[in-house]
Amino acid sequence: MNQKVKDFLRSFLINLPLIIGAIIMLAPLLWMLSTALKPNSFVASTSIIPKEITFENFIKAWEFPRVFNPDVTMGTFILNSLFVTIVITVFGIIIDSMAGYVLARKRFPGRNLFLYTALATMMVPFYVTLVPEYLIVVKFGWINTYIVQIVPFLASGMGIYLFRNHFMSIPIELEECAKIDGASDLRIYTSIMLPIAKPVVATMAIFKGMWSWNQYIWPLVINKIELKPIQLGLTMFKGLNVTQWGYLCAAMTIAILPLIILFISMQRHFIGDLTAGSVKG
Amino acid sequence: MVSSKKEWVGYYLFLAPAFIIFVVFIFGPMIYSFILSFFEYNMMTINEAKFVGFNNFKSLLANKQFLAACKNTLIYTLTTVPIMLVLGFLIASLINSKYVRYKSTYKICYYIPYVSSMVAVAQVFSLIFNASTNGTANQILTKLGLEPIGWLSTSKWAMVIVIILGIWKQLGYVIIIYIGGLLAVPGEVYESASLDPISPFTLARKITLPLIRPTTIFLLVTETINGFQVFTPVQILTDGGPGYSTTTLVTLLYDKGFKEYKMGIASAISLILFLVLLILSIIQNKIGDRE
Repeated sequence: MNQKVKDFLRSFLINLPLIIGAIIMLAPLLWMLSTALKPNSFVASTSIIPKEITFENFIKAWEFPRVFNPDVTMGTFILNSLFVTIVITVFGIIIDSMAGYVLARKRFPGRNLFLYTALATMMVPFYVTLVPEYLIVVKFGWINTYIVQIVPFLASGMGIYLFRNHFMSIPIELEECAKIDGASDLRIYTSIMLPIAKPVVATMAIFKGMWSWNQYIWPLVINKIELKPIQLGLTMFKGLNVTQWGYLCAAMTIAILPLIILFISMQRHFIGDLTAGSVKG
Repeated sequence: MVSSKKEWVGYYLFLAPAFIIFVVFIFGPMIYSFILSFFEYNMMTINEAKFVGFNNFKSLLANKQFLAACKNTLIYTLTTVPIMLVLGFLIASLINSKYVRYKSTYKICYYIPYVSSMVAVAQVFSLIFNASTNGTANQILTKLGLEPIGWLSTSKWAMVIVIILGIWKQLGYVIIIYIGGLLAVPGEVYESASLDPISPFTLARKITLPLIRPTTIFLLVTETINGFQVFTPVQILTDGGPGYSTTTLVTLLYDKGFKEYKMGIASAISLILFLVLLILSIIQNKIGDRE
């Protein structure tokens, strides 16, 4: 056998399992899309390529929450989630980076205590504090508000830690120059440090954004349908009968597709940052 | 930099938002949860919490549902984690091979389930593995001339499907982390190894695996911690059923706390969960320090 044939065989043998694997990974989602596009009478057919394409399911799914409240559509859930996600991401990054900046640069009593507290929060899994956290927000009278979906998640130990490490790697001379020019700490933070920390901002934006959009167990405490985020809205489609599976799949597609498009268009950041953030040693 | 007391006030103001949130929503609840686990407190029927000592823990240990939850959580973790790590490593090595040209296309394909929402994909799975003859899997079985299976409504299959969903959803993340680990292995190692005629398996066992040990340990511990907290797929696919066959620690915690409003028992479960996860974190740090 000459080298070319050998190379071809090798690449075939390596690519074949990868292609089969990729098909398995995508099959459930393709099936979802195909069911969403099929007219309802064909839902039970097993062919993955719909013989007839309709967008009726998407319209029906969009309007479906009106069954529970005439003023609510899928759009309501999406806007709720967008609002919560944007607020958590923007303010969360500001709060984390402010704390990270002070912990990286300043000396003052209690600094280490603050640092270790931030690190310790990463050791407490969310589910462990679920019950008392619920009792606390009930006491605050926050149930059925946006506040309850936002405030507890505005700060993260991981964010503070990543910002602190990044700020520590920046030469201190940069700040000293600004200080000589008369800039205040707040000024230095907003016009020098934050712009320099762009890579960490991007990482945290992806983490916080993805996490907030996919939040599920905590918003379960919200009963008011007008305030529900998208993931909770999706559960309304649970248990539909076979003739309505088209709606269910259309609704799931509406919820998943924006994230997949965002991911594919930004995949370099997504994949790069995840690896950078998590592999140590 | 030497700073004055006046400046300290400014620093504390920078730290305040984050630490107020930590105290009110993490450490406060932590302590509250610890205290509550020694009380009987039903939010719906009584207003006053009653101190009951270790009774919550005792009744849990005698509770069939809790024991089933422990068993199921262990089964879920002990099956998903090893399968994910082995598959993840194999696929990452294949993608990393020089014979593969469209690396990022593969990465995207395998990663898409990870970015999709669990609530949505779990509902798609519940449609595919629907117990009725209209379920996709059963349609295919019928076409092949086989008997339809009760999938999610049988205790034998329900757990298997929860596990398949767990692996399918998380595998992309494991692959990406492994690819990152493999890229960090210096190319010279492979170049010098390729001078000797050794099989790819020996190469993996003797050279690659030892070199990416930190990645493997990182994934092993974080995925185990994740596994112990499995909730959403179970709640959507089976809601713990049939019977208690798929109940896990967190679904039980949720049911006790938010369906039965037994906050004391729920806190006791969360304390047990916390201790298990704490031990796992300590093990990770110990190994991490040694590496």
